Amino acid sequence: MTTRRTALTLGAALVTAALSYPAMAADTVKIIDNVELSGTGVTSGSMWQKGVDLAVKEINAAGGILGRQIAITHQDNQSQAQIAKAVATRAADEDPYVMLGPIFSGDVNVAMSVAAESEIPMIMGGEAVNLTTQGNQYVFRTSFSQANAMPKVAAYLAKAGIKSVAIVWVANDFGKGGRDTIISELGKRGIKVAADISTEPGQMDFTAAVVNAAKSNADALFAYTNEEESARLLIALRKLGYTKPIYGETVLTSQRVIELAGGAANGAKGHVGLSVDAPNPLVQEFGRKFKAAYGMNSDHNGIKGYTAVYIVKAITERIGKFDRKAFAKALHGATLLAKDYPGVLMDVTYDDKGDLNRESYLVEVKDGKQVITEVLPPLGKQ
Amino acid sequence: MTRWLALAAGVAALVALPAGLKGYGVYLLSLWCVYVIAGMGLNLTVGYAGQISLGQAGFLGIGAYSAAILLQAGVPFLAVLPASALLCFVVGLLLGFPALRVQHHYLAFATLGFNMLVFLVARNEQWLTGGTFGLNNIPRPMILGWRFANRVDFYHLLLAAMLAMAALMAWLLRSPWGRAFAALRDNPIRAESVGIDTTFYTLMAFAIGAAYAGVAGVFFACLVGFIDPAPFGVSISLSMLLMVIAGGAGRFFGPALGAVVVVLLPEWLRFAQDWYLAIFGFAIVAMMVWLPGGLLSLPDRVRGRA
Repeated sequence: MTTRRTALTLGAALVTAALSYPAMAADTVKIIDNVELSGTGVTSGSMWQKGVDLAVKEINAAGGILGRQIAITHQDNQSQAQIAKAVATRAADEDPYVMLGPIFSGDVNVAMSVAAESEIPMIMGGEAVNLTTQGNQYVFRTSFSQANAMPKVAAYLAKAGIKSVAIVWVANDFGKGGRDTIISELGKRGIKVAADISTEPGQMDFTAAVVNAAKSNADALFAYTNEEESARLLIALRKLGYTKPIYGETVLTSQRVIELAGGAANGAKGHVGLSVDAPNPLVQEFGRKFKAAYGMNSDHNGIKGYTAVYIVKAITERIGKFDRKAFAKALHGATLLAKDYPGVLMDVTYDDKGDLNRESYLVEVKDGKQVITEVLPPLGKQ
Repeated sequence: MTRWLALAAGVAALVALPAGLKGYGVYLLSLWCVYVIAGMGLNLTVGYAGQISLGQAGFLGIGAYSAAILLQAGVPFLAVLPASALLCFVVGLLLGFPALRVQHHYLAFATLGFNMLVFLVARNEQWLTGGTFGLNNIPRPMILGWRFANRVDFYHLLLAAMLAMAALMAWLLRSPWGRAFAALRDNPIRAESVGIDTTFYTLMAFAIGAAYAGVAGVFFACLVGFIDPAPFGVSISLSMLLMVIAGGAGRFFGPALGAVVVVLLPEWLRFAQDWYLAIFGFAIVAMMVWLPGGLLSLPDRVRGRA
């Protein structure tokens, strides 16, 4: 009996305590970041968070947005959809001007329905195609969707004279989405898929994947996994003496993967939407600032987080007020030029669905550095 | 009498709580209810029948996926709920029949394997489960023309379901079946010697526990509105086991308190920012060291020392 009473009292006390949270200051503009700071998404999430923080620091030092300082809060969603929904719901309760993140598509999926319900613009880092095809008027990307990126990769492979490819992909929504899109794009260009190899998120040993890829005797290997797995795959490929060219999209040749894989990354090629080594003085300047602030190189997620905050600033200044509906409306179809808004780093155009378009790069890793071999114009301008 | 009053006060508090809460609080309370239902089922298997199951998240997944698929096909909620529970019950029987030949940690591994199997099916059978992309836009329940779209309405529905499941559990535990469960946990050989069919009762405890997870899964799908394989992985089964152990295995209110620890405590610790999950981990270790019998053993512990 005592047990029951204790249970009830203790339960009620804990519930009450759990549900009370501190209030925020008033004359600031509140932005809440719903981000993967633990779980499988931590590599991407922590880079994004650093990028966001750097931009907020710069903007606040320069006087804020329309004279108001940004108050940023980062909330960890543990890379789990049901927690991401809790974080998004909590964020919406606090009535922020804009929400940032998440990065993993499953998390974006649940958070964006909360954003639409509460009419709060959400600038996120997901790349899966279906995020912007559901008619949500409050969701915006910070990078290419796979539907924009993969045609460029496939064209690159075709140009290199490759006739068959072994695909190694990670079995999560990101990897599966990329795999489905690249297979369809390869098919259009008459390139055969010689091996279709799925790997686990968090997988440690890639020996079997490499052996199967080598056995397929394909002209090249296309790798589409997350950062840490990409590095492990590259190390396994080199260790087992894989000699065919290795291609990737954004992640494989990203700074983070090069750091993790060391010498094994040399020779990897690919298409990159965002890179601190882009032949663009603004982007390179960002890269230096990031390195000075955190002692490490930013990858594409760092750039995504950084530009997300500057997009908020640019659009708010354009509409001249803090109005969430007007913000979402103004960002649809907006073109932001880097010469007018240096913080967006590269000229960028949004369409009416929240997808964006800008130039991108073909790169190769040489001597532990990402080297740009060709600059591709934005889609539609080719 | 006091105990009925305390219970009534607790229920009244749970009914009234959303009035003082915003969306986040209501969402967390709803998530708490979901895990309490699943935890009650696991408590039957672990706490009363004395078996270790690491497959509860698998059953939660079966409940959630079957509900999502059926609801999207337009099947009414009142049919989906028992169907999903029944499906989990049957799968529980089918799994339990061979698996319960082994006990304790061997059973733990057998159920762990089952959970991985559920996860892999959810991830790889894209035609059915949406694969890694998951299933989106799962509707909130519609009962007799009333859609529980509002989050507070939905919470009240979920709370009612949780209380009903709790009442059912209380009745079950007081029935001869409940006595049999406890008998085979405490001394299986003696239980068998007085004529209790241990295999049958263990199997029933396991399958009923699975059905509870199925009911929880239905509400999970409706609550989050989106499911992918991640919330039904092995690590979540471990969390659920933690829920039962942390609350107090074999105690009726154990899962309710355990779910507070596992679902609400990390959220409450968010003020510690980067450290919140680390603090949570340390808190669990400390709790297990000092209170191996779970939080509900605290009063006994205090009295024992005094």
